[in-house]
Amino acid sequence: MYDRIFAGVLLVLSGLVAWAATQLQVPFQYEPLGPKAFPLILSALMAVSAIWLAVKPGSDSWQMDKAVLIRITQALAILLAYAWMYDRLGFITATIIVGGVFSWMFGEKPLRAGAYSLVLSVCSYFLLTTLLQLNVPAGHIFGG
Amino acid sequence: MDVLSYLATGFAVALTPLNLGLVLLGCFLGTLIGSLPGIGPINGVAILLPLAYAIGLPPESALILLAGVYYGAEYGGRISSILLNVPGDAGAIMTTLDGYPMAKRGEGGRALALSAVSSFVGSMIALILMVGLAPILSQFAIRFGPSEYVMLMVFAFSCLATMVGSRPVKTLIGALIGLVLATVGIDSGTGVLRFTMGIPNFFDGVDFLVVVIGIFAISEVLVLLEQWVKNDLQLTPVGKSFISVADIMKVKWVLVRSSIIGFLIGVLPGTGASIASAVAYGTEKRFAEGNDDQFGNGDIRGLAAPEASNNASAAGAMVPMLTLGIPGSGTTAILLGALLMFNITPGPLLFEQQPQIAWGLIASMFIGNLALLIMNLPMIGIFVRLLSIRQAYLVPVIVMLTFVGIYSIHGDTFDLFFMTILGIFGFILRKLHFSLAPVILGLVLGEVLEENLRRALAMSGGEWSILFDSPISYVLLGATAVVLVVPTLVSRWKKQRIPDNVAATD
Repeated sequence: MYDRIFAGVLLVLSGLVAWAATQLQVPFQYEPLGPKAFPLILSALMAVSAIWLAVKPGSDSWQMDKAVLIRITQALAILLAYAWMYDRLGFITATIIVGGVFSWMFGEKPLRAGAYSLVLSVCSYFLLTTLLQLNVPAGHIFGG
Repeated sequence: MDVLSYLATGFAVALTPLNLGLVLLGCFLGTLIGSLPGIGPINGVAILLPLAYAIGLPPESALILLAGVYYGAEYGGRISSILLNVPGDAGAIMTTLDGYPMAKRGEGGRALALSAVSSFVGSMIALILMVGLAPILSQFAIRFGPSEYVMLMVFAFSCLATMVGSRPVKTLIGALIGLVLATVGIDSGTGVLRFTMGIPNFFDGVDFLVVVIGIFAISEVLVLLEQWVKNDLQLTPVGKSFISVADIMKVKWVLVRSSIIGFLIGVLPGTGASIASAVAYGTEKRFAEGNDDQFGNGDIRGLAAPEASNNASAAGAMVPMLTLGIPGSGTTAILLGALLMFNITPGPLLFEQQPQIAWGLIASMFIGNLALLIMNLPMIGIFVRLLSIRQAYLVPVIVMLTFVGIYSIHGDTFDLFFMTILGIFGFILRKLHFSLAPVILGLVLGEVLEENLRRALAMSGGEWSILFDSPISYVLLGATAVVLVVPTLVSRWKKQRIPDNVAATD
């Protein structure tokens, strides 16, 4: 079932690729193939494999219960929040929050998770900025 | 001898203090990454690559570090296989079969020591083969024109499709997704923008690192979360037993055979450590039949074979990457991507024009394997203790490093969002039993494949027959045919031995 859904999405995608490729405006071209041919070949192959997969899908071994689904969605929300906070609140603040939540999600007690992520975040910040000289944001709200 | 003078050049590069330090660091991190269940070599290399790039290491140093992580992880994977019965990475799955029973009957120390020696012998044999073979292959590859390259890549993708992953069609789809991703951005031939959806961040293409970290590291975090169980795995005590000379003498031919098998499988495009160790184990089991066959119950031959083989395959996988620019495994695909980021195109001319990179890497592998033997014999206790790091402490570090690495490339949070989206995409692919390595291979090779195809057809004025117009092309065409037929037989045999998602993370 999942395989069929995936094959359907893939088929739509291959159609989109093919359509977008034919829409390309090529002002000049020195070689016979041009920028359209390769994507068109790929989309054709993709369509064929998608149909093949739809005709002969694998068994559904993915056991997706509600608890797992909720956990994955939470993790995804936290990761997206991390991406949003990263340069706004700065590395230290964002990492304390996100690191703490992940540590807690993997079974640490809330207080200890918070303490761990505080130490991790502050130590890493100085290690990354001074020793490795990386571009780590201080945070817009702190004027960084 | 030419080779010796090149090797001397290589050692001069590898023995500079910076590079020596990086070899040791890479090997240490690799062993650690390999031994921790969950993060395998591919994730380790993926997470470290943007950091190595951002701190401005010279290309040969970055490659030395990342390669150290790669083959170091093949050593590390065995530790948790033997002591926890949980493979640390995909290449160490076969090691659990005989390693864990040995540990359970109190021979953990013997198993760890023997597997360390096996890993070392496997690597050394493969390295010697590599030194002998790589220059010859690169000499040969100089004669490759655009059409031969196209055929070579068709061969590479055929190898991949039939030998990696659960089903050929899924591997093919994975590679196609990678190839399509590679077409995003400005077309180098005409300057036309393709598939950018008007997003400026895509104008110079989909960033290789963002894709790698997203579909491997982020999806790994999601998988860890899905499978999360309290870390109450029981560490089997190491015990006082140790390796004896008689042990080594008993497995010496096993080591030689398995190393050669591992090396050859490593050289084949796309097939890496998990297949190499499975084939070596199967071969040795058959050799041992009727000769005190204790395979599966802690036979030292069953421990030595996969360990020698998976380490040999790690070295073997470097050969086509360096000489042809075609990666031999998922992890070497990332190493290839790393070289391309440094504007270095691996291929036949690499050995001539930039010997410090090719030979520096090879020399560093000799040093690294020696260091790994030392780390894994007397210092094994450190890694055993680190094995009990809880995921509650590990996962925040992984998440943090992925964000730090990706942000440091462009300083743009768009990449962070895109990486997370790709993470969920990678997670879905893994859950549907698609291997991820083909996606990376497609992404890395896409541009080269299209460029060579267009160049070949420009030469022939649009005649497709140019692709099949030279002896080398015929050979590659024949090899492709063999690869498409033979593995059907192998896979029937393989299905009896390893579950179908084994190769998924290799």
